[in-house]
Amino acid sequence: MTAPHATTQFFHTFDNPWIAIAAATGAMLGFITINALWLIWLERKVSARMQRRYGPTEVGPFGLLQTLADVVKLVGKELITPDHVHRPLYLIAPILAFAPLAALLSLLPIDADWVFHDFDITLVLLLAFSGLNVIAIFAAGWGSNNKYALLGAVRAVAQNISYEIPLLLAVLPIVLMTRSLSLHEIASAQSYPFILVQPLAFIIYFISATAETNRAPFDIPEAESELIAGFHTEYSGMRFGVFFLAEFTNMVIVCAVATLLFLGGWKGPLLPGFVWFFIKVYGLIAVMMVFRWTFPRLRFDQLMTFAWTILVPLALVNLLVTIVVLKL
Amino acid sequence: MFRETLIGAWSLLVGMKVTLSHVLRAPVTSQYPRERIEMSKAYRNVIRLIEIDEIGSHDCIDCQACVRVCPSDCIKVEGERPDGMRKKRATLFEVEFALCSECGLCLDVCPTDTLGYSREYDQAGFRRDDFLYDLLDEWRDKEADVRTRLREDEAKKAAAKAAAASKAAAAKKAKEEATAAAGDTGDVAVEGEV
Amino acid sequence: MMRPKSTMELVPGDDETYYLNMGPQHPSTHGVLRLRLHLEGERILGAEPVIGYGHRAHEKMAENRDYLQFLPNTSRIDYLSGMIYNLGYCQAIEKAMQIEVPERAEYIRVICAELNRLTSHLLWLGTYLLDLGGFTPFLYAFDDREKLLDILDSVTGSRLTYSYGRFGGVSMDVDDTFLRAAADYCTYFRKRIDEYHALVTHNIIFRHRTKGVGVMGPQLALDYGVSGPCLRAAGVARDLRKDEPYGIYDRFAFDIVTAEGGDCFARHMVRMGEMEQSLNIIEQAVGGIPDGPVLAAKVPKRIRPPAGEHYFAVESARGHFGMYLRSDGTDVPVRLKLRTPSFVHVATMPVVLPGTMLADTVAILGSIDIVIPEIDR
Repeated sequence: MTAPHATTQFFHTFDNPWIAIAAATGAMLGFITINALWLIWLERKVSARMQRRYGPTEVGPFGLLQTLADVVKLVGKELITPDHVHRPLYLIAPILAFAPLAALLSLLPIDADWVFHDFDITLVLLLAFSGLNVIAIFAAGWGSNNKYALLGAVRAVAQNISYEIPLLLAVLPIVLMTRSLSLHEIASAQSYPFILVQPLAFIIYFISATAETNRAPFDIPEAESELIAGFHTEYSGMRFGVFFLAEFTNMVIVCAVATLLFLGGWKGPLLPGFVWFFIKVYGLIAVMMVFRWTFPRLRFDQLMTFAWTILVPLALVNLLVTIVVLKL
Repeated sequence: MFRETLIGAWSLLVGMKVTLSHVLRAPVTSQYPRERIEMSKAYRNVIRLIEIDEIGSHDCIDCQACVRVCPSDCIKVEGERPDGMRKKRATLFEVEFALCSECGLCLDVCPTDTLGYSREYDQAGFRRDDFLYDLLDEWRDKEADVRTRLREDEAKKAAAKAAAASKAAAAKKAKEEATAAAGDTGDVAVEGEV
Repeated sequence: MMRPKSTMELVPGDDETYYLNMGPQHPSTHGVLRLRLHLEGERILGAEPVIGYGHRAHEKMAENRDYLQFLPNTSRIDYLSGMIYNLGYCQAIEKAMQIEVPERAEYIRVICAELNRLTSHLLWLGTYLLDLGGFTPFLYAFDDREKLLDILDSVTGSRLTYSYGRFGGVSMDVDDTFLRAAADYCTYFRKRIDEYHALVTHNIIFRHRTKGVGVMGPQLALDYGVSGPCLRAAGVARDLRKDEPYGIYDRFAFDIVTAEGGDCFARHMVRMGEMEQSLNIIEQAVGGIPDGPVLAAKVPKRIRPPAGEHYFAVESARGHFGMYLRSDGTDVPVRLKLRTPSFVHVATMPVVLPGTMLADTVAILGSIDIVIPEIDR
């Protein structure tokens, strides 16, 4: 185990564990919400600038509070449950999408001594938890009892399962290099960012992560031109909002993992560690946004072909080369 | 296969260069309610009656040409012939703008060219009646004066015409006499006076 | 009312396949087209377009109003190339009544029609990329289109429903500002085309999505009467502007853009090429426009084409737009049949779609560039 961390200590100062849990949950929810608000604003501004528009300008300075206004609208909307849905699945799906987020966020070391949990296998746990998302999407699509939603759900399952393989294969070389599955240790071990020695792994990871989070050009589960809104076609109000929150939080999580594994985590000159961490994370997210607003969408079968015939072999080759180099 | 992947990746980067290069260019959106757009010279909207200089008002003579040509039947014109006037004057000119398709055929057929387009462009309303335009509205308070003046003009013209006619008759008579007398003097002024 | 029998009937006891109604309210059917799809997973087994949701009875309206009153309708049949339809209708009546059009008006017509073709192709490019999931090219194309609409607006006073043509000419003369703007736009847009190629045509994802998808071979295209860019994409060089020149198109040097393959990519390439050719025509026309009146002096007061049958066709942005007119010599046509390209193109869907994926449906439907009021006229 590593040395005790400041944050951990902070939550340990509460005598009553319930208060500690409440405080931690509050902190998580606050982060998820504020992060989503800011990310949606960022996405709107980035896309607007790329498309030579202004983006939101009306609510708050630079339109910063526009998303807040949208959230208020979403919260105020009636939650419509269509008659034809499978009620239990339909109702539980948004919760399933949202629940793992707090657990996932708690695993991320933000600074050298700023982490909620740290134990040996945070990386495995994180990848396992992020796999839960697909169950939520499938429950939503299946429970909606709508052909478009079902198609979206089926696509999502196939896509997420396919892309998890190259994702894991891209992470493995780093694990082999550092001989650790703890995110904190991996990040600490980087005297230089691992992207310099593992550029291919980084590219594969980033592409797979984009696909995992269902972001364009891999957003086929919710391809609006084909499937209206895909798996969340039948969701309205805050139920839809929860899926949206989950999507944006997932973006942060995959980009944070990329930062920790490949970009040296919180390391950087001058600025404090957590600032560097967030600069790197949001930088990666901005790249994802540029992807989204530049490329057309892949077709479903091409997406699968791409994963299995290009990404997986490349990741395997990369892994083998890493093993050979490490053994030499 | 490998080559194709590389070319593909390169094409994606080129695409991103294009979109990113646009980040630096100024936005092209016009911030509408804050920034009013200048409508083009030919801009078409609801029709209005335009002032004709010689009349000092519109010159709708209730000929019904626009009513007949309108494909949407959205124009309603009524008129009367004021006492002592040769031409008619419109007493009602209504346009149901909700039906109008802004084709501009009414402008083409107007014999007195008194129809033009309004320059407004963001009409909005809650009822259909909001788009029932009374085109005579802006001219109505002037109408009595205009009619008086037109009547005077007509009377003057009629008088002038009568005078000219008598003068012409006199001139003709004189000319005939002159021709009979000398044979070669022409009079140009006759035409000019009529 | 008799309903035509559907070609796709539900098979009782078939659990493996299902039917999907795409439209009439769907983001990618470009209006109110409804496609009944018979699907097995994502693969399409059968497709049946169901039309009529946007019916406005244009042909019937023509039988109930005089020739001039039908003029505003023409730009509403295909609202994206309204100018071409508008001027085409005028030309049809002029041909029937043998009205001479002044030189200047002919040049203005060519410039406006080609500008309109550009707007139509640009809108197609934008929405097509939107169908394929690329949002940004859509806004670039709309930005360029907006500039064009401003140019057209400055002379016609309208952005879509122009009603600009008149029997015997055009309703308003153009000024130097307009001509200069049109010429400047050509210079500007040539640079933009390169950008579109970099952003769209060369994009690997775009190529994968469109190459070999929705193949409409020359035989199929000719059998169905497909015209315009879709036909030329199949390698058949047919363009009414060249083959049966109307107006003064025979005076301009331009190429018929064709491509091989008849797939979505070929249609894309043909339209991109056509935009360049339109620029060529505009530049030539702006350079050669003479002075003079824009409306014929001797237009009969009453438009009464001689009794009998008249036919006239123009090359619209989508293809062969034909007008068949039967007149009995009165003010009102007996019948005005409009032959619109989109109707034909959408009729090929039951042949082209089966065997493709659901995502291809969107790509194919987008690539044939349909306009709903043109189908339901």
